[in-house]
Amino acid sequence: MGHFLIRRVFWAIFLFFVATVVTYLIFFVIPSNPAKTIAGRNADSTDVARVARFYHLNVSVWQQYWIFLWNIIRHGSLGRSYISRQSVRWLIGQEAPVTASLVFGGAVFWLSLSVPIGILSALRPRSLMDRASMTFVLIGISAHPVWIGLILSYVVGYRLHVTPIAGYCNFFTGGEAVQCSGPLQWAYHMILPWITFMVLFAALYVRLIRANVMETMSEDYVRTARAKGASERRVMVQHVLRNSMLPVVTILGMDIGLALGGALFTESIFNLPGLGAQILRSYSVFDLPVIAGVICFATMAVITFNFVVDCAYAFLDPRIRLS
Amino acid sequence: MALLEVNDLSTSFRTDDGVVKAVSGVSFKLDRGETLGVVGESGSGKSVTFLTVMGLVDKRNSIIAGSVNFDGHELVGAKASQLREIRGRRIGMIFQDPMTSLNPVKRIGWQLQEAVLLHNDVTKAEARKRAIDLLKEVEIPRADQRIDDYPHQFSGGMRQRVMIAMALINNPEIVIADEPTTALDVTTQAQILKLMRRLQDQHHMAIIMITHDLGVVAELSNDVLVMYGGKVVEQANVDDLFANAEMPYTWGLLGSLPRPNTNVERLDQIPGQPPSLLRPPPGCAFNPRCEYVMDVCRRELPELTQSAHGEGHFFRCHLDDATRTRIWQSKKAALSEEAA
Amino acid sequence: MRKKHMLSLLLLTAGVALLVAATTVGVASSATSKYSKASTAGAHKGGVLRVDQSSTDFDTVDPGLAYVTNDWAMLYTTQMLLVNFPEKNGQAGSVLYPEGATAFPTVSSNGTTYTFHIRPGLKFSDGSAVTAAAWQRAWERDLSPKMGSPYGVNDQFQKVIVGGEDFLAGKTQHIAGITAKGLTLTFHLTKPNPTFTAFLSMQWFGAVKPNMAYTTTGLNVYPSAGPYYIASRDPGKTTVLKRNPYYKGSRPANADQIIFTSNTDQDQSLLQTKAGQTDLDMSGVPPTAAASLGTPNKGQFKVGPTSCVIYALLNTARAPTNNLAVRKAINWGIDRPALLRLLGKYAGARTDQILVPGIPGYKPYKIYAFAGANVAKAKSVGGSALTSAGPLNVIHSTSAAGVAGAQELEFNLKQIGLSYNDVPTPGTVYYNTLETKGTSYNVARAGWCADYFDPFDYINVLLDGRSIQDNNNTNMAYLNAPALDTAMDKAASLSGSARAAAYAKLDLQVMQNYAPWVPYEIANDRFYVAKRVSNWIYSSYFGEPDFNALAVG
Repeated sequence: MGHFLIRRVFWAIFLFFVATVVTYLIFFVIPSNPAKTIAGRNADSTDVARVARFYHLNVSVWQQYWIFLWNIIRHGSLGRSYISRQSVRWLIGQEAPVTASLVFGGAVFWLSLSVPIGILSALRPRSLMDRASMTFVLIGISAHPVWIGLILSYVVGYRLHVTPIAGYCNFFTGGEAVQCSGPLQWAYHMILPWITFMVLFAALYVRLIRANVMETMSEDYVRTARAKGASERRVMVQHVLRNSMLPVVTILGMDIGLALGGALFTESIFNLPGLGAQILRSYSVFDLPVIAGVICFATMAVITFNFVVDCAYAFLDPRIRLS
Repeated sequence: MALLEVNDLSTSFRTDDGVVKAVSGVSFKLDRGETLGVVGESGSGKSVTFLTVMGLVDKRNSIIAGSVNFDGHELVGAKASQLREIRGRRIGMIFQDPMTSLNPVKRIGWQLQEAVLLHNDVTKAEARKRAIDLLKEVEIPRADQRIDDYPHQFSGGMRQRVMIAMALINNPEIVIADEPTTALDVTTQAQILKLMRRLQDQHHMAIIMITHDLGVVAELSNDVLVMYGGKVVEQANVDDLFANAEMPYTWGLLGSLPRPNTNVERLDQIPGQPPSLLRPPPGCAFNPRCEYVMDVCRRELPELTQSAHGEGHFFRCHLDDATRTRIWQSKKAALSEEAA
Repeated sequence: MRKKHMLSLLLLTAGVALLVAATTVGVASSATSKYSKASTAGAHKGGVLRVDQSSTDFDTVDPGLAYVTNDWAMLYTTQMLLVNFPEKNGQAGSVLYPEGATAFPTVSSNGTTYTFHIRPGLKFSDGSAVTAAAWQRAWERDLSPKMGSPYGVNDQFQKVIVGGEDFLAGKTQHIAGITAKGLTLTFHLTKPNPTFTAFLSMQWFGAVKPNMAYTTTGLNVYPSAGPYYIASRDPGKTTVLKRNPYYKGSRPANADQIIFTSNTDQDQSLLQTKAGQTDLDMSGVPPTAAASLGTPNKGQFKVGPTSCVIYALLNTARAPTNNLAVRKAINWGIDRPALLRLLGKYAGARTDQILVPGIPGYKPYKIYAFAGANVAKAKSVGGSALTSAGPLNVIHSTSAAGVAGAQELEFNLKQIGLSYNDVPTPGTVYYNTLETKGTSYNVARAGWCADYFDPFDYINVLLDGRSIQDNNNTNMAYLNAPALDTAMDKAASLSGSARAAAYAKLDLQVMQNYAPWVPYEIANDRFYVAKRVSNWIYSSYFGEPDFNALAVG
């Protein structure tokens, strides 16, 4: 286990470097001149040079990368936006909870739908529900989050007035700038985004869980349990479920990273001030510090989450834990 | 009255390609304390026969006919609860692959205790003690510590001992051992067989030994069923079978048996593949591989016929008595010659 | 407000259709003439005005750093300027009046000293008095190296004011050329500059507390002297304005509060507006929705012109567009209605000149093809220059809008007998390419919006031959006509109606005698407002309504 931890930590550091180096390189490979963009149209070369100095844009890519790293190590700082001049760390601190609400809430939604349906359709293969869930899968996999989001907010929010059309409320109350806050309002505003996520992912998970449960049910040890005289219910609960959930946990770990991608669109559609919407905006104005900061943070988040998932996996599967 | 009496048992599976007749018309009896060997290649229906006996085939896609009478209880069509009462308590089962037959995420002790607790109104502590006793009995060293290990921390032979302990933990009247040694190396095989023999003496249980290895049967069994293509092709007392095998498939099996102290370079083998159960050849299922095949073999299934050599000895073959005797005698001579 | 220009061009190149096309000039010009009377009287006071701001937030709300049109539209409600534009629709809204000053400045006879007298009794939202020092501090915050302000490095105002460059270089504590004594504020300019008063209408030059801190990141909440103040701000999410209790001026402040919700989605905001859950989206309506929102300016759908002119640049430094006959022929051969149609309904109005409505000196001319391509006229104007011309390089961004626009231009060029090379260029280097001297393009689309409401900001800034440098050129047509430069200098030195008349003449002269562009569109902004919103006053300068004038309920 200790070995496993150390390996994971080194892997995390390596991934962090790869992600940030690639981000930096991409931005320097793309022909753009941030100093000039910031300095504006009338700027002469001394103006541009002044802006470049101000933002450390006058040194080589590698020096800029080094400054970026050094700021992280020395000051815990991710720099500041070229555009709004806000500290990137502060921005992320503001936006990460929104994205986390979306992704984890969405995960809870899609799991609470797909686990029961997945198991039921595994128990009754080829039944009506099994076939219905297959149709659901196809729709979920084929549809784009923007489309799902727009349809949901139009129908449920605008036509039926059941939920808000869009918008976000802070979970914690307080703050004058906040129009609405509190857990209830927060959840009320998050329902549609969560459902969007649910539609995107639940379908896949239904099939994944169905396949896993069916595969596990044909395992030798399940037959052993039956041969011991265990009831079907007991076989399911004690022997099939935990084993069939192992791959689901792994996939879930990977999909949380993928979900950050889905957050990009879902956040934009539902006016959620999260990391995904931020990165879309920053990309459109080549705000490198924000993009690098968010990617850096997202990388760490995904690595951390994968680590948590690995630990969960180890907890669930003694073969990993004890070897 | 026999402890277990199976009559004309058939099991078919519905698949996308059609109906597979895995077992058809199998009948046999088993008395208390006896050992029945069941021999056949993969796909001969030997495992399915006993999964059917145990009620472990999926009812949704199978068709079962015939009768299984266990100590006065009819098991075909019995209620699930009734079957569960018998499974694990009165009939224990040991499976072929100890690597996959234990739940990888549950401790050994948990899995053994489950078997106890399912059938006995005892405390967990008592169940645990029973589990440790059984582990000791199957010769697992430091059983009181190893009981908290997970299956992957055991070697294959050790796991099979755990499986045996699990099958025996409720003192069953019958233990069905489905190729218990196939997945193990030769040394371990011998140890396991020795262990099973000892346990049978101690627990006075009947054993059904499913195997493709006549050698194992010779060591353990009283009676032998030879299965081919889902049917019993020969059944006899074990000594009788080795002395007077009546049909070509059994000859083939005996010929492929490795014999100690022989100097043959290479063992005989039965040419060809086991028959497709989905589209079995017409007539005798063995006819495509039989070196003595006749026209009638391709048309008609031979009846299960009483042998002249013993009262409980039956076989299926169209060859006439004289021909069979002649061929068998020459085969036997060749085999003993090699042995010499 | 360079950024608006940058952003809208980014939109142009990024393929988000820019605004919506008005197929007739009528929309824009009728809006200009009809709503010219002040209409603040009788507007309902109170309530909360809810404004969405799709896909963006204010970059910053610190007036020393604020740089983008939307920032300025918001700051307009909180700031007090020396001279400002009134809350009036149409042309009347672009006429400056002294706001914080008692009158327009007295200018010394040599034209370099401007003296303002500040109105007595003005107060910030924290109750403290507004004195001349408030504007001195604004300038110092704009130019201080401690701010890293885009302004100081951007518009070169440090060169306008005496001591500006030393201050920007950190050599002095104060700008030598600005003195504030009580209610008297004096600016010493490096040279006469009739545009100076217009400069002061920019939000960079609003009154700030004389102790307002220098900061590179900008302040979110601070006392201000306009009708509203920023009560709170959650960057990226919301900005809340409240009525300034100490404001005693005549400008309207109808809603009790104005709440800006940032980074919303245009489609969703439109739905929310229809459902009455928000009042309007200051980023406008989705271009695709514009056709289905009813008649402009009759109900909830509002369309107004911006100060942005969209045009095809012609490179006057490269053959064959170095030939005036070719450039004029192209102006005749281009299909303006077709170019507008590419951008959807109500996107803008046709134009064939540099200046836009509202800018002093704007007079509609219609000297080139307005109703569609006039091929015959183009060929006769071009004559042998057309037939002997080599291929033109048509450079365009790789976005859908960029490609579509170029295809239309290329079709028109071919119609009048010109050949072309299609040169697709990534959006990120598009302007770099155009701005570099010696660039190889002949035809390229571009656009411009006003930084301040003065013709100088169009004609002198974009067409002065002496401003051509190695790169970062604003004169992307590379027009270098000394006679024109002299005329520009002369016009710039005038003020009042003489100035307007001079620029009106220049506007015509440039297009008739030089034709460095093919102007084709004055862009519109379109909004959809909730039913409860009244007293709609739109500023073509910001391309936004005057939020302090809007009334709810």
